[in-house]
Amino acid sequence: MWTEIVKEMAGFSTAVLTSVDASGYPFSIRCKTNPDSVAQVLRVQMPESVQFRPGPAGLLCHQHDESLWNLKSMTLRGLLEQDDQGWFFRPLKYTPGAGIGSLPAMVKFVLEGRRNTKHFLNKRHLPRPVIAWDTIHAIWAEIHGKGQ
Amino acid sequence: MTADLNLPSEVEAVFREFRTCEMTTLSKDGTPITWPVEPYYQPDKGQFFVATSIGLAQKWHNVRRNSNMSLLYSNPISSGLAEPPAVLVQGNAHASDEIFTSFTGDLEELGRQVASRQPAAELYSNSPLMRYLFDWYYMRLVIYFTPHRILWWDHSDFNLKPHEMEVCHVD
Repeated sequence: MWTEIVKEMAGFSTAVLTSVDASGYPFSIRCKTNPDSVAQVLRVQMPESVQFRPGPAGLLCHQHDESLWNLKSMTLRGLLEQDDQGWFFRPLKYTPGAGIGSLPAMVKFVLEGRRNTKHFLNKRHLPRPVIAWDTIHAIWAEIHGKGQ
Repeated sequence: MTADLNLPSEVEAVFREFRTCEMTTLSKDGTPITWPVEPYYQPDKGQFFVATSIGLAQKWHNVRRNSNMSLLYSNPISSGLAEPPAVLVQGNAHASDEIFTSFTGDLEELGRQVASRQPAAELYSNSPLMRYLFDWYYMRLVIYFTPHRILWWDHSDFNLKPHEMEVCHVD
């Protein structure tokens, strides 16, 4: 897991770090991280303006282009901790997102989406809904000025 | 419920123009989980909403268990804003039970926003094969989000002390 995390994070200049504040709400900032391959943790360049607490935390890296396409993302779950070198994030679970893993990852995304959908509907004894494609096509036609 | 957020113009511009934000919910064990999302801001209602597929429903399950949630606006790409602030919104979510299958109601405006800002996403609905493979992607649950605290960092510089405001809501 660690090798893949380091490899993929190299493609992002910053990450969104989130912990839980004293009132119980998520608290996020965007920051830079540096891999510490000896300890297998990510050292966090923590801004002085914010006060995080050690504990469960998450990291998200994501990017898109000017047309909100070519999406790429990855998520880490782990722990935010502190030592004499400062704050660090200890990853416990890595989830690759859009744009990581090319075609096999896309196939997995579709299959998992279909499987999750079936499970969601079956659990609630709901029939599979039919999509009103006409309303969707109408909006695309309206925005882009073409017939469907 | 309504709210006069009375936001500084630079913060409201971020809500209007940023293409994505980072949405965090809390998992069963309390770990914050963050996703990139395309939010829709409803200034007249003082709230936001996010739509997610029933095939990607973890964030919906999370807010039904614990409504504490946040949105961080920290990626200005394509917003057209020069040196915008980064904005963190903390608040509470309400997850609807209804499964939306059309671009009507609240989703009509969101659909327009997506069609306008993400033109290549038409790929998921523009052929019989893609409609078969991705129909689940259009079975949507809606998460409404009401802010109670907003922080922002000038110039998106997290080393600066953030501005902070509490939001009062009126029933």
